[in-house]
Amino acid sequence: MLRFGQVLRSYCRSLLSSAVNAMNFLLIFLYWQGVSTVANSAVTPETDYAVTYHETIVSKGHVIVQELEILKPQKIELSCIISDIPNNPTHIIGYWKKNGNEIENSKQTVYKVDKQRFIFKRIFNIQVNDLGNYSCIFSYLDKQEQVTFLLKVPVMKDKRDKPIVSYVGDSVVLDCKIKRMPNTWQWYKSNGTEKVLINATADPMNYKILLEKNVTKLTVLNLTEEDAGKYICSAVFEIKSSESHVYLKVLSLIEPLKPFIGITIEVVILVTLILLYERYGRSRNDSSVVTENGPNCEPTDKLTQDDSSGTDGRRTRQRNLVH
Amino acid sequence: MGVVGPSPSGSSPPDGGWGWVVVFGAFISIGFSYAFPKALTIYFKEIQRDFGVSYSQIAWVSSIMLAVMYAGGPISSILVNRYGSRPVVITGGVMCGVAMVTASFGSSITHLYMCVGIIGGVGLSFNLQPSLTIIGKYFQVKRPIANGLAMAGSPVFLCTLAPLNQFLFDRFGWRGGFVILGAMLLNCCVAGALMRPLCDGRPTSVCQAAWSVGGAPAVPLKPLPDRVRTPEAPCGGGDKERPSGRAPLRGRSCAESLSCFLDLSLFGHRGFVIYLMGNVLMFFGFFAPMIFLAPYAKHRGVDEYSAASLLSVLAIVDMLARPGTGLLANTRLVRRRVQYLFSFAVAYNGVCHLLCPLASGYWGLVAYAVCYGVVYGMVCALLFECLMDLVGPGRFSSAVGLVTILECCPVLLGPPIAGALVDMFADYSYLFYMCGAVMLTAGLFLFTMNYWNYRQLNRAKHTQDRTSELGERTVQHGVQSGHPRADHKAAGVGDPGLGQETGTLQVKAETEDNIV
Repeated sequence: MLRFGQVLRSYCRSLLSSAVNAMNFLLIFLYWQGVSTVANSAVTPETDYAVTYHETIVSKGHVIVQELEILKPQKIELSCIISDIPNNPTHIIGYWKKNGNEIENSKQTVYKVDKQRFIFKRIFNIQVNDLGNYSCIFSYLDKQEQVTFLLKVPVMKDKRDKPIVSYVGDSVVLDCKIKRMPNTWQWYKSNGTEKVLINATADPMNYKILLEKNVTKLTVLNLTEEDAGKYICSAVFEIKSSESHVYLKVLSLIEPLKPFIGITIEVVILVTLILLYERYGRSRNDSSVVTENGPNCEPTDKLTQDDSSGTDGRRTRQRNLVH
Repeated sequence: MGVVGPSPSGSSPPDGGWGWVVVFGAFISIGFSYAFPKALTIYFKEIQRDFGVSYSQIAWVSSIMLAVMYAGGPISSILVNRYGSRPVVITGGVMCGVAMVTASFGSSITHLYMCVGIIGGVGLSFNLQPSLTIIGKYFQVKRPIANGLAMAGSPVFLCTLAPLNQFLFDRFGWRGGFVILGAMLLNCCVAGALMRPLCDGRPTSVCQAAWSVGGAPAVPLKPLPDRVRTPEAPCGGGDKERPSGRAPLRGRSCAESLSCFLDLSLFGHRGFVIYLMGNVLMFFGFFAPMIFLAPYAKHRGVDEYSAASLLSVLAIVDMLARPGTGLLANTRLVRRRVQYLFSFAVAYNGVCHLLCPLASGYWGLVAYAVCYGVVYGMVCALLFECLMDLVGPGRFSSAVGLVTILECCPVLLGPPIAGALVDMFADYSYLFYMCGAVMLTAGLFLFTMNYWNYRQLNRAKHTQDRTSELGERTVQHGVQSGHPRADHKAAGVGDPGLGQETGTLQVKAETEDNIV
C-alpha cells in the first residue's frame, strides 16, 4: 500500500512537472515572433501577445500597395498613417476591406494623434484561409484614400513557359528556387487534374531529389515517354505551400535524326553535282591539258609569263609598256 | 607611260568567273569559322544545369574552340601547301560534323571540351585558312572586294545562327540541337567542293621549287631560268619532279622539313614582322568591347531587349561595312597604300572605344554601336587583305598560319583581362579606356612602321630600277625571256625586305600584291 502511494505521488509529480513544461512551452511559443516581413517588425509592448505591425504613410493622390510575405500563421497588426490632409479636420472615418468586401463592424472614427497625423490600425489573426488583400479605406471631405496590403506566401517568379526537352534513356534535372527558405520541398507529377507525389526514397532508380535550403533539384533518370508532362515543385511553409511548375518533353532518338539525315543527303547531292559539273564542263571544253591537279582545275592566264611566283606579273606588264 | 586599265586577258589569277563562286564558298567557310563558337553560347545554360557546372567552366568550351581554331593555323597551312585548299576544307567540314555529333552523346564537361573544343576547333581551322588562301590565288585586281565579301560571312552567319540555335534548342533540346548543327557544318564540304584548284603551274610551296632545282630549302622565290611556261604546258610542272624530290626529303632534319612545308623565312620579312607585331597588340583589345557591350548597356540602365538590339545593330552595320571597305580598298588611290587604311581603321577603333564612356542613354550607345560596327568591319575586311598585300599569294598560306598561331594568345587573354578590370574597379569605363588605348597604340605603331617600310622599299626599288635600266638597254628584244629577271632577282636577293615586288607610279591601275 505504501509502495503504491509512493508510486502514485511520483507519478503525480512527474505529471505536474510535464504540465508546467508544457505551459512554459506555450508561453514561449506565444512570445516567439518568427515572421519576417518587408516593413519594420517589432513587438509592441502594450499587448500581451506577439504581433508584427506594418505601417504605411499615405500622401494625397497615391494608391499604395504593399506586399507582405507570410510564412506562418500569426496575428498581424496593420496600420495606416495618414498625414497632410488639407483643411486639417479633427477626425476622419475609416474602415477595412478584405478581398474587396467590407469587414463588418470595422468602421471607426479616427482622431488625431499629433498635430498632423492620423493612425488607423487593426489586428488581424491570419490563418491559412485568411491570406488575401486587406485595405484600409478612409474618407475625408468628399474623397477616399486606400492602402492595400497583399498578404501571401512567397512566390516563385521564374518564367517557365518553355518546356525542357530531353530524350528517351537520358536523364534530366528539373530545378526550383525561392527567396525564403521553406520548411521542406515536395515534388509532384501532374496526371491530368490530380497530383501524384514523387517519392525518391521509394523509387531511387528513377528519381533523385536534392534539397538545399532555397533550391531543390529533381533528377529523373532512365526517361521514358510516360515521364513527359507537368512537374510541380512545392515549397512547404507553415501556413501554406507555394507552387511552381515545369513542363518536360521526352523525345525519341529518331526525332533529331530526321533533319540530320535530310541535311546530310542534301550535302552529298550538292557535292556530287558540283564535282560532276566540273568534270563534265572540263571534258567538254578542254582537250589537251592534262593537269597535275587533275582534270578539274581552273585555267589561269593566257599570257606567257615567266615567274616562279605570281608576283612578277606586273613586271612583265611594265616591261610590255616600256616597249 | 600613262595609266593602263586592267587588261581583258586577265592577270595571272582569273579575277572573276569561277572566282566569284569560290568567294561564295569562302563566305560559307569563314562564316562558320567565326560565328560558330560565339553562337554556341545559347546552349550553355541548359548544359550547365544538366552537368552541374559553373558558367566559367562551360565558357571554356567556346574559348578552347576558338584557341584551337587559331592554333591549328600552321597545320592547316602545311596541308594547304601540300594538297591545296579543296581537300583540306572538305576534311574540315567532316571533322566538324563528326565532332558535334559525338558531343551530343556526352555525359560530362570533359567530353565536350574534347569533342567540341579540340576536334571542332581543328575542323574550323581547316576551314578558315584554306578559304583565305584560295581567294588570294583566284584574285589579284579585285582581291580587296573578294576579301571584303568573303569576310562578310562572319556577321551574316552570326545573325542567322543565333536565332536558329534558339529554335533548335526550344524544339530539340541541346543534344538534338548539336546533332543538327553537326549536319549543318557538313555544308562546309559543299563550300570546299566549290574551291576548284588552279592549274597555273606555280609551285604551291617553297619545297617544290627547291626540289626541282635541287637547292637548299627555305630559300624564297628562287629563280627558275630554265622554265618557260605557256598555258599549254602541263600544270604543276614542278610537281612532276616531286617523286625524285621525295628521296632527299628523308635525309633532311626535322627543322628543315618543317621549313620546307612552312615558310619560316617570313620572320625575316620586314613587312610581315611589322604586321605581326601590330596585330598581336591590337587583338588584346579587339573582341572585349563586343563581349561586354550588352552587360555595359544593362549597367547603364538599358533594358535587356534593347541591350540585345545593340548587338544586332552592330552586326548589321558590320555586315555592310565589310564589302564597303573592300570596294574602298580596291580604288586606285587606296590600293597602293592599303596598309595606311588598315592602320587608320585600327586607330579609329581605339578612338571609338575611348569615347564610349561619354555616351549617355540608349541613343548614345546606339551611336557608339554604329561607329564600332563600321570600324570593326573595316578592320576585319582588311585584316587578311593586308597580309596578302605584304607577302603575296605564294607565301600567304604559310603567313596566315604563323599569324593565327601567334594571335591565339591575345585573342584568348584579351576578354578575361578586360573582365578582371571590370571586377577590380566595378566600372566598365576602365575596360573601354584600356581597349581604346591598346588599339590606338597599335594603329599608330602600324602607321609609323608602315611609313618607314614604304620608304625603305621605295629606296630599294629606285636602286633596283637603275640597275634594271642598264640591263634593259642591252636586252631590248628579249621581252619574254627570263634573264633580265634573273638579274633583278640576283640583285635583290640580298635584301630580305625585297621579297616583295614594287608597285610603281607608272602603272597605277594595275594592282599589285606587293607594294614598295
